[in-house]
Amino acid sequence: MSLIPQILRSLKNLPPFPMVAQRALLLLNRPEVSIQELVEIVKFDPGITANILRIANSAYFGLRREIHSLHQALLLLGTQELLKIIIASGANRLFANSAPGYFSDGQGLWRHSVSCALMADLLARELTLTERTTSFTAGLLHDIGKIVLSLFVDQKFSEIMSLVESQGISFHQAEKTVLGIDHAEMGGEMARIWDFPDRLRSAILHHHLGRPDAFADDLILLVYLADLLVLMFGQDSSKEGLAYNGYPEVLKHFDLREKDLEKILLHFGSVWKGAQVFFGLVSDNHDLQCAHRG
Amino acid sequence: MDVVVGVADLKVSNRPEHVLVTHALGSCIGVAIYDPEAKVGGLLHYMLPESSLDPGRAQENPFMFADTGIPRLFRECYSMGAQKHRLRVKVAGGGQVLGGQEHFQIGRRNYAALRRIFLKNNVLIDQEDVGGCQARTLFLEIASGRVWVKTTDLLIKEL
Repeated sequence: MSLIPQILRSLKNLPPFPMVAQRALLLLNRPEVSIQELVEIVKFDPGITANILRIANSAYFGLRREIHSLHQALLLLGTQELLKIIIASGANRLFANSAPGYFSDGQGLWRHSVSCALMADLLARELTLTERTTSFTAGLLHDIGKIVLSLFVDQKFSEIMSLVESQGISFHQAEKTVLGIDHAEMGGEMARIWDFPDRLRSAILHHHLGRPDAFADDLILLVYLADLLVLMFGQDSSKEGLAYNGYPEVLKHFDLREKDLEKILLHFGSVWKGAQVFFGLVSDNHDLQCAHRG
Repeated sequence: MDVVVGVADLKVSNRPEHVLVTHALGSCIGVAIYDPEAKVGGLLHYMLPESSLDPGRAQENPFMFADTGIPRLFRECYSMGAQKHRLRVKVAGGGQVLGGQEHFQIGRRNYAALRRIFLKNNVLIDQEDVGGCQARTLFLEIASGRVWVKTTDLLIKEL
């Protein structure tokens, strides 16, 4: 408990949210976005266009033509896909530092975040929800609290983990007990400081469904489910493993059966393989675990 | 030299410098088999229990499923000189999120599928580390046949 003042103090040094992503977030709820608006956003960051083109040309989208410009990307992918790419390219800087409290390798948090974004996007499509770009973004940013809380979790990791093991509680509950605050609450606080749109902030704050009213918003439930499915898929070297609560109510809410979850994981496997280019945004010199047979 | 076995992937080797490794198994399962005489080993990482879910996909990549991947693991080791009666079989993964016994049970079903296949084919598991809420990384050293599991809290134990 005594750590809370120290943890909140560390927020004073919170860097600004990357500007490109910040401006892109403001377009999330708009029904129409013009190419000029997107170009306006991107021009603040010269490096970002290269990343956007890399992603647009990756196996993830599987386009047969090579894309050379933002205009072309917009024509072939549409504004919403382009917006996702811009947000991912803009936000990745935030994840450049490792989060050793939670992940045993440097890119762990970014990989987990991208995986969760892709999973949320996939789920939104499967469940025919309309807010796919918002779902993607909420998945991408749901764990931002870990960026700040990592240092503290690192110090207290064995204490937190032994609570998980001895009491069978979830990792974020154990975090709350040991540190006085959990990574979802921390993320909510950061989202407030960074002035995120309300629903995005609330998806970050409630993504472990810690409060009953969290069940009232599809976006929160979607991010929660995406997170859980990504943990089941594995591959992101998270130290807390699968120590999170599985709420059957969520499956019922979306009318999903166990077989549907299997199909979603199967589908996600292909998406994930095609999306390796996203993982590479944070560091290019790291060996990615995408070995194929032969 | 580490040889990475990806998601829904299989690697088989008889080269003593190889360590086969599959990272961060969540509800997926890793199966390591090894013949100490032929010094041949294989490591399979499958995701889901049954190929009936998507037969087309299973044909494309049999390593996705227990029922198509496990037979291939054994056959590929036999083709490199391994013999069934000498094989040591070790299994890890099949993790679960916290909660009841009826939902989010892919890990459990993955393990059940493996047990069924092994029972039908008279294969005994020598060691296993399955279930629980751990994510696991599994290593098989071809020179010695030794197998290790690294769990989420970074403990490494030999299986």
